[in-house]
Amino acid sequence: MFKSEELEINLGPQHPSTHGVLRVKLRLDGEVVVACTPVIGYLHRGVEKICENKTFFQGQVWTDRMDYVAAISNNLGWVEGVEKLFGIEAPRRARYIRTMLTEMNRIASHLLWLATHALDIGAMTVFLYAFRERELLLDLFEAFCGARLTTTAFRIGGLREDLPPGFIKQARAFQEVFPDRLEEYETLLSENRIWKKRTVGVARINAEDCIALGVTGPVLRAAGVPYDIRKAFPSAAYAEMDFEIPTRPEADTYARYLVRLAEMRQSHRIIQQCLDGLPEGPVMAKIPKILKSEVNEVYHAIEAPKGELGYYFVGEKGGLNPYRMHVRAPSFVNLQALPKMIEGRLLADVIAAIGTLDVVLGEIDR
Amino acid sequence: MRLLKTLIPGDIAAGLTLTGKYFGRVFFSANRKKVRAHIKHFTQEYPEVPVRLAPRYRGRLTLLKDEQGEVKCVCCLACEKICPTQVITIEKGKKEGRKMPYPVRYDFEMERCIFCEFCVESCGFDSIILNHQFELAAYNREDFSLGMEGLGQNMFSLSPVGQYSVAED
Repeated sequence: MFKSEELEINLGPQHPSTHGVLRVKLRLDGEVVVACTPVIGYLHRGVEKICENKTFFQGQVWTDRMDYVAAISNNLGWVEGVEKLFGIEAPRRARYIRTMLTEMNRIASHLLWLATHALDIGAMTVFLYAFRERELLLDLFEAFCGARLTTTAFRIGGLREDLPPGFIKQARAFQEVFPDRLEEYETLLSENRIWKKRTVGVARINAEDCIALGVTGPVLRAAGVPYDIRKAFPSAAYAEMDFEIPTRPEADTYARYLVRLAEMRQSHRIIQQCLDGLPEGPVMAKIPKILKSEVNEVYHAIEAPKGELGYYFVGEKGGLNPYRMHVRAPSFVNLQALPKMIEGRLLADVIAAIGTLDVVLGEIDR
Repeated sequence: MRLLKTLIPGDIAAGLTLTGKYFGRVFFSANRKKVRAHIKHFTQEYPEVPVRLAPRYRGRLTLLKDEQGEVKCVCCLACEKICPTQVITIEKGKKEGRKMPYPVRYDFEMERCIFCEFCVESCGFDSIILNHQFELAAYNREDFSLGMEGLGQNMFSLSPVGQYSVAED
């Protein structure tokens, strides 16, 4: 009467809580996950190959469309990578503004993560509150560069324009309300017994496995490893900033939630320092109209909201475009941890595990 | 009292207090114009009230004319070269009584445009801008190919859908 064989099901690619077009093949024994295989590639556009056929200036617009919730971080990686390849140094004011906007983007990305992750697990209220604050940040991005999502915010050698009038005031208004709003999210979630039941001890992955799989970002820091590229290899103006790397030893979903909330506080601190100590001066370095590369290779990594985002450029002699371009996307590498996290656990934990990894499929498939 | 504490646990009560606070704020301010004016709203009554956009907002590409009504573009092809998706096609030509070259054809394929504003940046003559239009829908596919002249929308006029809903500033 009852069959006891293992069942194979698909989670996605159109499942609302897979955050895009991620398909997860699951082998189930009752409600326990026996095996798990993520299937990716539904959003593949060939960004790396396209960028090899575009000039160094043009290629930047594709980086917006990789991790579309953290477009400014992607832009930062691209422009700093190209600047490293050509030995250009951006002016100090430009680096400060870059740092400030990247940190705002980190907050925006973490807010979107918090909203959707909580929604997946069943806490709907946070979704609405988190999107309210994200709106303030997107308004700031619109004021600075004219777009809310696909920003193309920076230029090689600095910035296109200085901050618009009124930007500092708007940013300070955000800085004033944000700590209180963070408290609100904590009131709703941190002590909530349903939230704790769904997250504490769920989707564990220890530090050794994280390092072996190359997992970076908040997932690694929630496993107790204080590795942050902003501290390890500081770029932009991070060397001049005073901030801490939040870590937790528990390595479960709840720890990652706490780490990301603490990261938002640190980002808030960095933005405050940028606003207070914004130096005067030009925002654009003198760069040639046409960039011709030499035989050279460069790897430049920055700390994106999801982890280590690296750009690898190979230049050829007299080339207007990169001979080879590769992106080390944090979501792509972090997704490897998914089978390790959920094999042997319950089906309902799969949703929490995908949410806590904070994957963006635009970046995984590229 | 003790019964109440077991029924409504503290952690959930704290959350409910917060949501109740927001609920009350909305509930008691609904349909009261005096109270509503003090609260900052995040939603806009968009089609009825025109949208206020940031001055740097990147909308549709538009050709500019100078005071005499002449097209400012001099066909240097900088925008055509920089465009990452190659949506601009310019044909050089001459016009009587004008020293500079005149664009006989300035085609813009809006379907593929990604609104990055590289063209405006590269233009040395300030002859193009991205205006504040974001409602660019059309019924036919041909309407997305904009030219110097055209009935639906062209490179100079606003799109028929959006000309009433963007605030002037």
